[in-house]
Amino acid sequence: MANLKEIKRKISSVKGTQKTTRAMKLVSSAKLKRAEEVAKRSKIYAKKLTELINEIAQKISKSSGGIDNIFFHENPNPKVVDIIFITADKGLCGAFNYQTIKAVNRVRKEYSGATIRLSGIGKKGIAFFKYNKIDMINQIEDLSASPDYDRASKFISTLVEDYINGKTDKIILIHNGYVNMITQEIVEQQILPVDSSTIELKSVSMSELEVEPDDDDTLIDTLIKKYIDYTIYYALLNSLAAEHSARMQAMDSATNNAGEMVKKLTIKFNKARQEAITTELIEIISGMESLK
Amino acid sequence: MELMKLEIVTPDGVIFDDEVKQVTLPGSEGEFGVLPKHSTLLSLLDAGVIVIDTKDNREVSVAIDSGYVKVEEEKTLCIVNGAVALSGDDSNLAKAIAEAKELLQKAGDSNMAIAAAMSKVEHIAKGL
Repeated sequence: MANLKEIKRKISSVKGTQKTTRAMKLVSSAKLKRAEEVAKRSKIYAKKLTELINEIAQKISKSSGGIDNIFFHENPNPKVVDIIFITADKGLCGAFNYQTIKAVNRVRKEYSGATIRLSGIGKKGIAFFKYNKIDMINQIEDLSASPDYDRASKFISTLVEDYINGKTDKIILIHNGYVNMITQEIVEQQILPVDSSTIELKSVSMSELEVEPDDDDTLIDTLIKKYIDYTIYYALLNSLAAEHSARMQAMDSATNNAGEMVKKLTIKFNKARQEAITTELIEIISGMESLK
Repeated sequence: MELMKLEIVTPDGVIFDDEVKQVTLPGSEGEFGVLPKHSTLLSLLDAGVIVIDTKDNREVSVAIDSGYVKVEEEKTLCIVNGAVALSGDDSNLAKAIAEAKELLQKAGDSNMAIAAAMSKVEHIAKGL
């Protein structure tokens, strides 16, 4: 019967898909382990660097009553806001990319009074905004799959340059971050101006801070540039780990769904087969009956 | 002798975290030593060699390319871009020294500092 054949073909096709998704899950979990390790190691560095910046900001604001360094100067009415987003280069990872895009759109609405400039890292997000005819000033593909410090630093340096020259008032970074194997979380952070308002004022020793080289701008400037570069780089690492964990999850549930579908189809197949046998039997019996 | 905490952090993780007696750092304005109870100081670090006097009287050297140091009375924190520890047994040490030289060469903008650091690395190589 045609129906039987059809169901059989469907079962084997679903089984084939299941094999693929299972393989993809295994690949992702292997990649995740590596990405997680790298992200974990650089997390310490990122944390220490942030702590150092925060402490300097606190010290400066306490000693001179306010920070006059350009990197800390918050503009209450930003005219130009830069948004950088990081998505994956590849799909098949559930809502991973879409969550980031959604967050970008939310932030765009938030600053609807200002001119918004978008910079994108990662094919998927770039494709989305291109399709919706939203312009991007910077875009870079194939960086999110293999984070590279120098390229990340080059990417952000033009924006930092713009910030120093007053072409932009605010730089915001949005990406999907890794929390653990089964959770990702959207991270939205303000890169510039360095947000010193959220810094918790813990008790730092109030002793005089000596700075070398002693015109303190040199040190703070290099430190902040380093901090920005590293923030981007760390965000890339973090996003990569999150991508793999999201894909692992998506592929896991795809494999499960395929299994369920095979089960349902098998039952359907058995029922159809039984039905065919019954019909055949009835035909034979009724044929014999009519001969009597 | 008093001890202080020393931590050296690189993008690849923490490479040193222990109590030490003294540490000598390659500051951008010149090399300087830090003992416990040093006043708070923040400094840029150039390419060079960090020399650590550990609590059990050993001398550990770490070659770095660039970074920052924050000195507090009880604690010194070095945040560096790249670092190679010059220690271990003979075969590992030879490898570490080669790596350290490569690291210093890559850092290369101020030749003087690098030349000095290189000779220091070689000196350590001979001394061990």
